[in-house]
Amino acid sequence: MKLQHYLGGLEGLPEPLNLEKRVFVEEWEKRIFGIHVAMMGLSNHLSSALPAYPIEDVPTAFHHEWTWASLRTGAEAMNPFDYFKFRYYEKWLGGITSFFVEQGYVTDEELAAKAASNVPTESNAASPAIDDQIEQYLRKGDSPRRDVAHPRFAPGDRVRVTDVPAAAHTRVPGYLRSHVGTVERVFEGDYAYFCHTGDGIGDPMPIYIVEFSPTELWGARAEPSPNSVYAELFEAYLQPIEEDQ
Amino acid sequence: MSDQFAYPSDREASSAAKVAALEALLVEKGIITGQTVDKVLAYFESEMTPLNGKKIVVKAWNDPEFAARVVVDTPAAVAELDLPEGMAGAEGEHLQAVANAPGVHNLVICTLCSCFPWPVLGLPPYWYKDPVFRARAAREPRKVLGEIGVELPDDTEIKVWDSSGHSRWFVIPERPEGTEDFTDEMLMDLVTTESMMGVALAGPAS
Repeated sequence: MKLQHYLGGLEGLPEPLNLEKRVFVEEWEKRIFGIHVAMMGLSNHLSSALPAYPIEDVPTAFHHEWTWASLRTGAEAMNPFDYFKFRYYEKWLGGITSFFVEQGYVTDEELAAKAASNVPTESNAASPAIDDQIEQYLRKGDSPRRDVAHPRFAPGDRVRVTDVPAAAHTRVPGYLRSHVGTVERVFEGDYAYFCHTGDGIGDPMPIYIVEFSPTELWGARAEPSPNSVYAELFEAYLQPIEEDQ
Repeated sequence: MSDQFAYPSDREASSAAKVAALEALLVEKGIITGQTVDKVLAYFESEMTPLNGKKIVVKAWNDPEFAARVVVDTPAAVAELDLPEGMAGAEGEHLQAVANAPGVHNLVICTLCSCFPWPVLGLPPYWYKDPVFRARAAREPRKVLGEIGVELPDDTEIKVWDSSGHSRWFVIPERPEGTEDFTDEMLMDLVTTESMMGVALAGPAS
């Protein structure tokens, strides 16, 4: 069980809410954001994406898969107390740096030496084709839609969220586990996920919007007002209700 | 407070040095170019900004038929407008709009991460990524909204959308009263990133 999966509804947090409207609060944060986007745009899985990007022809030394699932798996693997201690892009910097070290692209010694020196970056012969591929990815994306839908459930069906133990990464919010909701909508198409998470998603499957009542989720701790909670859930996370039980 | 929650005094300088070192090494090793990060940032600073979302909202305010279409097939409706190429690109592959109406207020959250509709709203502000917001808005949206100045009638239904799937959600806020004679430019000034995620109403900037 990972605390990061159970953020929704966590109590005891600061009030009133501080609405920090800046996107970046430190200049350095922009750099790690840009590096992450570049990695997504150069990820080797994009050769089988829609559209099929010519990744093999892009003259980059990057040869791994890197998606949102990669970043999130790292965030979900953190010490949960560190997860709350560090700011958003501090977590990105830690996770992305660790990835490059673990995969052998850079060493800790190189990073330390470079950080201690003010030696300007050596110009390289990197081709603008690298940046062209990243821009193509940004403009055309990486849709997970793969097929026409084959839905098991229909709008109005009552469904229960599964409680399969999450592995390294999940897309089922913890506060919904085992709770009952109503299918509000079935999306057109089946949807893959970046990876097989080990808790049921990965291969193309329908996605639903499921409506939950706050009292179903929070009991007496729900707000006394006419609210609804909607979640988008992969079919693997839903099971039918046995009405006669 | 124990040292567990102490931060080093050079917290930001250290991170700045680390990311500069990483970027420099990635360039040296031919993974990215010396222009890559600046080009990525320029893409978001120049083209993928909240201006796109503002145009979508104002179109919905002025055109009831578009307003009906945009919540049913958001990508197709967005594609009707003259917006930069890439509305269906990264983090816009499956846009989904929801519209506020009398008695209904929509709030978009992401309790597992920070899914955000980049092409129409640009990059997410810090509040959206804040674990405190993500945790609290799921259970007590009315209280959270009240704390940040959005006072809703008691009988207004708050619909909380948790972005746990493939869609990237945004909100069409209600058009403020008394704006019938406003030009498109005046109307766009009433729309903020916050109002397009449901943590503010459309109106003069506060």
